[in-house]
Amino acid sequence: MSSRALSEPAPPIRTRRSGRFRLARISWTWPALLFLAVFFVVPLGANVLRSVTGPETAAHGIFAYYTKLLTDAYYAGILIETFRVATVTTLVCLLVGYPVSYFMVRYAGRWNGLIVFCLIAPLLTSIIMRTFGWNVLFARRGLFNTWLVQSGLIDRPLDILNQPVMVYIGLVHVLAPFMVLSITSVLQGVDVRLEESARILGAGKIATFLRITLPLSLDGIATGCILVFVLTNGSFLTMLLLGGGKVTTLSLLIYQQFNLTQDVAFAAAMGNVLLLFALVCLALQARFVRREGVKQ
Amino acid sequence: MSASVPLRLESVSKSFGDVQALKPLSLHVRAGEMLALLGPSGCGKTTTLRIIAGFEMPETGSVFIGERDVTELPPNKRALGMVFQNYSLFPHMTVAENIAFGLKMRGVGAADRLARVRQMLGLVRLAQFEDRSVHQLSGGQQQRVALARSLVTDPAILLLDEPLGALDKNLRERMQFELREIQRRLGITSILVTHDQEEALTMSDRVAVMSEGEIVQIGTPTEVYERPRTRFVSEFLGTANIFEGIVKGEAGAGEWTVALDRGGEARLAGDSGLATGRRVSFAVRPERLRIGPPSGSALMAKVQDVVFRGSYYAYELVVAGQDEPVFIYTQSRATVPADGMVGLSWSAQSAILLGERPSP
Repeated sequence: MSSRALSEPAPPIRTRRSGRFRLARISWTWPALLFLAVFFVVPLGANVLRSVTGPETAAHGIFAYYTKLLTDAYYAGILIETFRVATVTTLVCLLVGYPVSYFMVRYAGRWNGLIVFCLIAPLLTSIIMRTFGWNVLFARRGLFNTWLVQSGLIDRPLDILNQPVMVYIGLVHVLAPFMVLSITSVLQGVDVRLEESARILGAGKIATFLRITLPLSLDGIATGCILVFVLTNGSFLTMLLLGGGKVTTLSLLIYQQFNLTQDVAFAAAMGNVLLLFALVCLALQARFVRREGVKQ
Repeated sequence: MSASVPLRLESVSKSFGDVQALKPLSLHVRAGEMLALLGPSGCGKTTTLRIIAGFEMPETGSVFIGERDVTELPPNKRALGMVFQNYSLFPHMTVAENIAFGLKMRGVGAADRLARVRQMLGLVRLAQFEDRSVHQLSGGQQQRVALARSLVTDPAILLLDEPLGALDKNLRERMQFELREIQRRLGITSILVTHDQEEALTMSDRVAVMSEGEIVQIGTPTEVYERPRTRFVSEFLGTANIFEGIVKGEAGAGEWTVALDRGGEARLAGDSGLATGRRVSFAVRPERLRIGPPSGSALMAKVQDVVFRGSYYAYELVVAGQDEPVFIYTQSRATVPADGMVGLSWSAQSAILLGERPSP
């Protein structure tokens, strides 16, 4: 920083040239900015407008839909449910994902590439396909039930598919790779010699993990958690296809408001609340994920 | 400070897959001495250190610290201190927290910890850096923190894995003496792993030269430098000029005359077991060779190049019929005739007989 400050001012010729170059660089971003403006900023603005100009705003003020969403017991319950589903999914992903990441970074060696492939490959198939896969496995006459009945553990097939737990299984299945990849990328920067140093200094395996590895991988954990949390908030197909409609979250409600009830203004208000959730999460990530000091 | 303890390795071996990293190796490090494991990369020196540290389990053999067999003990139960090449300071801790870590792991109370940390910071002359983040330190300062951290727990053995490898030349030379001074003062038994022959010779009481998974020679720095037993050792410990020839006969007083393959005759001292007619190879250090007039010299050579290296002149010469050039270091510039032909000579004492059969 200081050395750069010392070297300025640069010779005039260089300044002029680099100034022109900077201008050129900004102009290159125009197409992308235009695209974003037309297909992202404008629709977003339209959505905000829609949420404050719907039919109910005439009677109850422009925030009528937001008031309804936050004060009506049913909708407030759904907000809480949304938060709960996202939190539980995030925690389960973390508990499932961290050991996988640790194994990949410390022990997988040349198998690392294969594991990364196995993690990414499911992301290439449609989420609907992956979700229906669970139907095949857990249906009344599916593989799991047939196996349990034949082995004599149960008399009648279990109704697993229509339980809320199915939603969590589906979500964790889809989102765990994001957690694993986030943690892996940070854990790779944690020098194994730091762990060895701790061991030599008298720390056991657990103490080494808790005092060295875990604190140094917090950035990856935070990134993974925020990613999974936001993605859970945004997913509705899993709730729609699994769990027999027992888990209703905000995103599923938006889908229903648009397609079934066709209360577009209310759906828009919900969408904005969900967007606010995501923005808060991103702000948290920007605030707490420092990305410093892991690599020396 | 606890009393110094010896370290003993008994026929320790290790393979990685098909590669035998360490052939059965025995080593006795005396209490309080600094022993250097010196060798090129892949010679097994790092594997040896990692076995002592407990990061690798030897396939055969045992490791003893003092009288205690620690072969089966995990690293945290071995009472060791270790300085890594990149220092491995914990980036999420301050200087004081780094040094206090080992004490914390041993359940030392906060007040005692602080006192010991300050004592160590004083030892490595970093007293005012207690609350700094490790990112704010220079390489040399980080190195000293790493040393303080490894010594604060009062370890039985100090392991140094290329501790100065990441420092620039001037700092490295200063730290060599500083590290050595602290080690002597504490009297802690130490193992230094390095590929830098100068570092090994400067810092250690004894040097074990390793090659291909075994110790090829062990002795004081002077012994291994002055009396290398094999061609490998002589070449690894600094540039050596290798000559070959056939023993012609005894020249009296423990000296032998050798007919050199490239013409001329030279004298060789020591070793009574040399039979006439035996093929020998021997090394002469560049600083022991002399440039003189062609008459009365052992060999004729042509000067190819002269380089001034600050404290000495380095001459590169070619002996007719020999591929490898001969190097000579002299304090003053020699007089070289226009055609570049000079005579080479050396005293019988400075010719080092090598044990290995000369390569064909």
